Amino acid sequence: MEQQETIKNKTMPFKQQMHVLKRILKYAHPYRFQFAFAIGLSIVLAIINAILPRIIQVFIDDHITPGAATLSTIIFFASLHFGVTLIRMVVWYFELYIFNMASEKTVKNIRESLYTKLHSLGMRFFDQTSTGWIITRATNDTEAMKDFWNVFLTIMQGVFGVVISLGAMFFLDASVAIWILLFAPVLLLVIRFYQVYSSKTYIEMKSKLSSLNTKLAETINGMSIIQQFRQERRLQKEFEETNQSYYDSRYSMVRINAILLSPVINFLYTLAVVLILAIFGVNALQSPVEVGIIYAFTSYANDFFRPLTRLMDSLSLFQDGIISSSRILTVMDNEEYVPEQEDNPDATIEIGKIEFKDVSFSYDGKTDVLKNINFTVNPGETVALVGHTGSGKSSIINVLMRFYDFQSGEVLIDGRSIKEYPMRELRQKTGLVLQDSFLFYGTIKDNIRIKNDQIKDGEIIKAAKFVQADQFIEDLPGQYDAKVVERGASFSSGQKQLISFASTIVRDPKILILDEATANIDTETEALIQEGLNRMRKGRTTVAIAHRLSTIRDADQILVLDNGRIIERGSHDELIASGGKYKDMYELQNIGLQLS
Amino acid sequence: MDIFKRLGWFFRREKKSYMIGIFSLVTVALLQLIPPRIIGIVVDEIETNSITSQSLTFWLGILAASAVGQYVFRYIWRMRIWGNAAKLEQLVREQLYNHFTSMDSQFFQKYRAGDLMAHATNDLRGLRMVAGGGILTMADAISVGLTTLLAMIFLVDWRLTLLAVFPLPLLAITSRILGRKLHLRFKDAQASFSQLNDKVQESIQGVKVLKTFGQEKEDIEEFKIQTDNVVAKNRLVYKIDSLFDPAITLIMGVSYFLTILVGGILITGNEITIGDFVTFINYIGMLVWPMFAIGRLFNIIERGSASYDRIENLLREESSIVERDGSIETPINGNLDFDIKKFSYPDDETVTLQNVHFKLNKGHTMGLVGKTGAGKTTILKLLLREYDAYKGHIQYGGHDIRDYTLNALLQQVGYVPQDNYLFSTTIRDNIRFADPTMPQSVVEEAAKLADIHEDILNLPNGYDTQVGERGVSLSGGQKQRISIARAIITNPELMILDDSLSAVDAKTEESILSGLKRKRRNQTTIIAAHRISSVMHAEEIIVVEQGTIVERGTHKELLELDGWYKDMYQQQQLEQKLEGEDI
Repeated sequence: MEQQETIKNKTMPFKQQMHVLKRILKYAHPYRFQFAFAIGLSIVLAIINAILPRIIQVFIDDHITPGAATLSTIIFFASLHFGVTLIRMVVWYFELYIFNMASEKTVKNIRESLYTKLHSLGMRFFDQTSTGWIITRATNDTEAMKDFWNVFLTIMQGVFGVVISLGAMFFLDASVAIWILLFAPVLLLVIRFYQVYSSKTYIEMKSKLSSLNTKLAETINGMSIIQQFRQERRLQKEFEETNQSYYDSRYSMVRINAILLSPVINFLYTLAVVLILAIFGVNALQSPVEVGIIYAFTSYANDFFRPLTRLMDSLSLFQDGIISSSRILTVMDNEEYVPEQEDNPDATIEIGKIEFKDVSFSYDGKTDVLKNINFTVNPGETVALVGHTGSGKSSIINVLMRFYDFQSGEVLIDGRSIKEYPMRELRQKTGLVLQDSFLFYGTIKDNIRIKNDQIKDGEIIKAAKFVQADQFIEDLPGQYDAKVVERGASFSSGQKQLISFASTIVRDPKILILDEATANIDTETEALIQEGLNRMRKGRTTVAIAHRLSTIRDADQILVLDNGRIIERGSHDELIASGGKYKDMYELQNIGLQLS
Repeated sequence: MDIFKRLGWFFRREKKSYMIGIFSLVTVALLQLIPPRIIGIVVDEIETNSITSQSLTFWLGILAASAVGQYVFRYIWRMRIWGNAAKLEQLVREQLYNHFTSMDSQFFQKYRAGDLMAHATNDLRGLRMVAGGGILTMADAISVGLTTLLAMIFLVDWRLTLLAVFPLPLLAITSRILGRKLHLRFKDAQASFSQLNDKVQESIQGVKVLKTFGQEKEDIEEFKIQTDNVVAKNRLVYKIDSLFDPAITLIMGVSYFLTILVGGILITGNEITIGDFVTFINYIGMLVWPMFAIGRLFNIIERGSASYDRIENLLREESSIVERDGSIETPINGNLDFDIKKFSYPDDETVTLQNVHFKLNKGHTMGLVGKTGAGKTTILKLLLREYDAYKGHIQYGGHDIRDYTLNALLQQVGYVPQDNYLFSTTIRDNIRFADPTMPQSVVEEAAKLADIHEDILNLPNGYDTQVGERGVSLSGGQKQRISIARAIITNPELMILDDSLSAVDAKTEESILSGLKRKRRNQTTIIAAHRISSVMHAEEIIVVEQGTIVERGTHKELLELDGWYKDMYQQQQLEQKLEGEDI
């Protein structure tokens, strides 16, 4: 995250900007013909723009001035002008439409590539990166790319406008056109000035706006605390300051625009007109001058200067685009992939025997969170993992689910290394029930099926019946088609658990991995959940992070973990008999009961 | 146009500024008329060979002067009008912010945080457009449009003018119609984008589930459907959006056609000069923007006034919590008498609390247990005066809490909420939230009492470590303890812990509770909890179920009662031990 922060607050060196640009342009590659076509049209447009004043110039110089204009020539020139205008209209429409669609599709391409990339990344990435950060990359940063492509169009239009109007001036009268060229260095200077000052202020303004909005959001979210502590006044004052400082920087932005943007371009244009009139006027003092050409020149001068305002204005968007691109690319460059499998297509999980042989595992490559773990779970048996937070229970599940790759030792399923199974096979045959059940927007059915369309409605109902979720589901309006709103807010945590049980059981996994919830659930659903867990375990190899007494007592084997090691193992009775730590705590709890 | 009246307070406030701005706009409009006219004059002088170096210098001098004048006045109006727009945005944002801080919890239930943020960002932008773009467009359209038109009529030819400007109102109509259509389609496109947003948000939040079931491919397919939808909706936008410039071109084309035609005829008939003709063509170009802007103006006003409606609606909301006249200003002190006959949340018919009565003597501790949703938090909310409408009374030191000023009551209550909300600032400032001038020693003392001091010292920057969205992420237990320190630091008369020890382990809980007991020997404490161990040492424990008290007494008495409390206690003892916290 630190890296991204620095990108935000500093302007990148030019070289790096170009590098980012080059890489992000690759996503436009599939649409290069559309882009090329649109650019071709914008050249045509610039040429048409140069032709229109020519028509009027020729009309004036060849027909009006000599007094040779007949009604039919007048009609001819008026119609010619209008005809070219019609072409201009059509070309312009398609230029805009085709370019915008091409950029829209490029954004789609970037989005989909980014999203596909995200799904190829391992849990490590998701555990380490804040959800908000990832979401912003996939939505806002990709959306910002649209403005970015538009900047190119604006720049292109500007450059073509400048070059072609200049060319037209040279074509008309090179000696005068050279004088207009004098403006070029001045313009470059203005653009450079504007860019330097505006980009600084623009970045400042944006970061102030974002801190303003953060502050606002934070106040709204923390309002009860603020009011409870009676800090309204103080925060109002703080907000006032932030608000003022945003206003100040917006005001300086207004000032920079007022000094260096359209007023200055307009000023230069008028000076160019002065120059043109001066040259032609001085010439006219010596010899007659065709007047239409003066009109044409002033008109070209307009074409020359006009696009520059927009061009300069969009420079800040260019910066935004580069920043967004570089953020998108940091995701694309991430290499925290899902652990690699040495796919052996024949490998299938048949009976569900699990063996951990001398497994060591570390998240950061330095401190081992699992140290030489050895255990075997026979088909159909249950092993309960017991130990305090940080003892390594969750890490065993992370290894077994292949969320993370382990460093040494072996994990075998049915005698074969877990790495040999194709990921699909592993996912199908092992069912993980998470501590906090997550529901997706959609229907109950959708949440049991979880995007697997091969699961039939009948199977869904059967699974729900099996875990006894059918009782409450059938009371819902619409039953299995009942709406589930965001994150399942309308269901109790117990009901959510039951739905997630059903989604696991509908896939009929050979191996069940349970991360039991610690939170107390209301007594009625608690009974259903207990029963559901028992039913699910039957006939399946189960590894459970256990909090419920029933799960622990029923386990064929209990592994007591401490600091990444298994310090005791055995069945409940064996552990009690052996008189170790497990017994200590069991006794303690009995004494507690006797006391009461 | 109504919006301008409703924003009258602001226009009056910035009257001088707006007058200078509009004066400059009009001046620019007049100065703009000079260049085309001078081009025309010089063309005529060249054409008729009447040009002299003197006259040329004269005209060019005026032209250059007009360039300088335009630059100066453009600068002035931009600063005034865009500056004022920013000012309006700032003012209304401040109004909104101050209003939010005075609203009660009912308000924040009615409007979700996201909505409020949207009002404070999008609607403010809409308003800024009215005060900036709106005023500019109106003044500009009128001044430039009018002066140019007059110049065309009087400096060139009225017949030509009438014919040539005949198609121009179409510009206004077109921009109005297209703008409206575009707005509708744009809203659709926005909606499709926010659907995409929701989709991404959900999938990223539920990524573990997706990975568990190995449904990544299917999820990517679903995402592609959404991106396709975004493209489809935007295609409709572009179909309209790309029409604007071509439509202007077409309408202007008609104008030029008429100008060339009629102008040509007039020149051949010697009614106007070539210079007039050139002037005229340039003037027509200048009319494009104001005519088009009139159409846009309607759209800006429409959206701006909808925005202002929403903002005014928010500002009209009133808090139901008000201080009565002559409220007691002495801080609360003494015994608490809580006697609620009946309480329902506003706009909700179900009775949330019924016959909840307890007395809490100064210096005593009360425990509050019960299932989630039993009504524990509601009891605490009433104590904090989040809701005032109930049957019964809550008295502190013999006076109804509604008779105290909010300062007298709330500044003496140290509340630790269930959700430990920390602000994006340093840990130090989070702890001394009640008073940022408190010295480090006081902060440390509170942190030590909350058993978080050591944890803080282990953080990269100690007490200066930033927390919240952009800072380090703390564990739930650490956040809880910081919230406790934040409440302890004011040494409140009444301290309320609302399930605020759930994420700390038993040992820490023990040490915090005994610390509190020591420090707060003469002050009152209420502890609501799931965990019995948090409340077992209290002088009285009440068990709430479905909004009413079902069991009450000391720990010992309640165990003897052999009811819900005892069941809970036994179950928790077993489970807690088995989790192995003592290994």
